[in-house]
Amino acid sequence: MALHSAIKGKLISVIGDEDTCVGFLLGGVGEINKNRHPNFMVVDKNTAVSEIEDCFKRFLKRDDIDIILINQTYAELIRHVIDAHTSPVPAVLEIPSKDHPYDASKDSILRRARGMFNPEDLVR
Amino acid sequence: MSDANIKSDRCAAGQLLDSLYLNMFHLIEAHTQCRIDIERTNSDGAILLARTKFQQGGQSISTAQIPTENSAEFNALCRVINAADDDISIERHPVDKENGYVDPLYWFSVLPPMSLRNAVDKFKRTIELIAESTNLQRELNKVLNGIGRLRQSAAL
Repeated sequence: MALHSAIKGKLISVIGDEDTCVGFLLGGVGEINKNRHPNFMVVDKNTAVSEIEDCFKRFLKRDDIDIILINQTYAELIRHVIDAHTSPVPAVLEIPSKDHPYDASKDSILRRARGMFNPEDLVR
Repeated sequence: MSDANIKSDRCAAGQLLDSLYLNMFHLIEAHTQCRIDIERTNSDGAILLARTKFQQGGQSISTAQIPTENSAEFNALCRVINAADDDISIERHPVDKENGYVDPLYWFSVLPPMSLRNAVDKFKRTIELIAESTNLQRELNKVLNGIGRLRQSAAL
């Protein structure tokens, strides 16, 4: 089945809790490609940090993904990998979850911006 | 290079740096506002999902209904496309089951209740905001790189 031929545009991928993934899948971002690789990962309390990290790295390597959405609470667990990714594509967006509201002080790009006028904050 | 030229270059670089910093603050404000909007629409959608769960039962909306690696392949209904000025926008494909564009609404219910349909609208709006936020983040990244380069330059 050649469902993926001549499709223009790139994907949005999601790493998040059940409600986040269900929400974005309902919005229409979900896809399973011909290699049976989904562009989403549901994280629950049994998911190991290494699995989140592996999935994130896998999404970074895929050239059909333009945006990676990750719940900020899970982004915190793999902060070193997110901070190491400096390329604009794919863009990594940290989004809030039902249980954890968005905290601007943890966002990688805003931390970098703050470091431009207050370098001491970067070493905290 | 004469002292006057060096002074003039430094002055120009300082002015450019000032304008980049000003741009950075505007972008930070817009970026934070966009994230707040994302949080708000996402929460609205989550409340509607919770209402659907309450009406249809706790397991009606869960990971059990989401496709896995063993499911049939399908295409995303919305994709990111490049618009003008390096910006991105969201393009939606109509549902076309024969070509793999399935409506995710029917994974969760054969007769989707109004609350679930309304939740879908909220999540679609969130995706639009995600594209807006991505554009702002990329622009902010460019400005930060510019500031970094300018600060490292010999003139300053």
